[in-house]
Amino acid sequence: MVRRLFRCGVTIALVVLSVWLFTVPATAQNAAAAAQAVPTTRTSDGKPDLSGFWGGGGGQGGEKPDEKGNLKFLQRGRPCSPLQVGTQECAPGVNFERDSGIRQRMNPNKPLYKPEFWERVQYLDLNGNAEDPGFGCYPLGVPRMGAPTKIVHIPGREVILLYNNKNTFRVIPVDGRPHDPINSLDQTWRGDAIGTWEGDTLVVDVVGLTGETWLAWPGYFHTNNMHVVERFTRQGNTLTWQATVEDPEVLMKPWVMNPVTLRLNPNPKAFMVEDLPCEERDLQHMVTKERG
Amino acid sequence: MRRKIYTVFAAAVLLALTAPAFVHHALQAEYDTSKRGEFTGTLTRFALINPHVRWFFDVKKPDGTVLKWEVTAGGPGALRQNGMTRIFKVGDTYRVTYAPARNGSNLGRAVDFHFPDGRVVTLYHEDPNNPNDL
Repeated sequence: MVRRLFRCGVTIALVVLSVWLFTVPATAQNAAAAAQAVPTTRTSDGKPDLSGFWGGGGGQGGEKPDEKGNLKFLQRGRPCSPLQVGTQECAPGVNFERDSGIRQRMNPNKPLYKPEFWERVQYLDLNGNAEDPGFGCYPLGVPRMGAPTKIVHIPGREVILLYNNKNTFRVIPVDGRPHDPINSLDQTWRGDAIGTWEGDTLVVDVVGLTGETWLAWPGYFHTNNMHVVERFTRQGNTLTWQATVEDPEVLMKPWVMNPVTLRLNPNPKAFMVEDLPCEERDLQHMVTKERG
Repeated sequence: MRRKIYTVFAAAVLLALTAPAFVHHALQAEYDTSKRGEFTGTLTRFALINPHVRWFFDVKKPDGTVLKWEVTAGGPGALRQNGMTRIFKVGDTYRVTYAPARNGSNLGRAVDFHFPDGRVVTLYHEDPNNPNDL
């Protein structure tokens, strides 16, 4: 009887969750479709104008102090279940980290490594608190840095990509030049990049990258012979960024990363917040390898 | 079979609900969040840095010796977005409650700062027992 009630409760919860789950994305999809439906702004040479502040940013939200000056700022995560609390297995912040770790490992789109490299991927994943260059305050690099925050597009000359994360800039020539022979042999976090147009899509070809970065959180390493192709497509007031990683030394086939679509930020006062310096002081105090 | 379906569904929900994220230090790998410690000390440095804001204190013991203490919070964004980065004054004395580092060093995850004028600033995670935080 109790089990039956429990099952019934779980089913109702799942139905409620499904309704919520599928209505929220539908709203977001409608908004995205509306943003795509407007005419695409074009530059003088007829290409889509990639300029703009893409995605959110520059917000002034958050908790405010009360009239006495007291301030309570609580970071939210998934609350502990009664079972977790009862067994004292959960405390503030624990689910936030654990959910993040599970989510990143569960992304079904994984790079397909040659069999002999999976052991290394697993080692790096297990020891990510020490091995992940992101934890050591290093730049995330191309392509892990993702989509830019802001773009300045100078038609026929260059596309300037600006990233909030670590105050990073990239200058992509779109004047038809080939890769620089010296820089493409260098080993850097942003590599040597050149842009060409395939129809309405800007294709950015990147070589000369370091082997120090990761592709993603679960220990996805690569070599310094990695070749990355990024695609920037503006449709209406949306920008889609998508990257493909070729690294035949370690990957069995190119890894096509999940695309990211951002909406043009309509706030004329949207600004890029200066990212403050990073200093790693935690690793020496960590007593487990758990990370989020 | 049904359990398997629930598990897969729960996993899908989890994936769908969560936004993309970068790297986080796991709070529970470094601090025992079920415990609390407290000290009163003089602020010597307030470091508005990534990945965690840090406060450095001198804590004077009854015998006159001074212990160095360090507490951390989340990223600097929370304080910056609210224009609250200048509320902490080097040289002032604060009573600080914290979740202690598991390795026993003079380090904690900040919970409350009690200011000299009586203000209380809490920079922490939600209380798992508080239904209002659901």
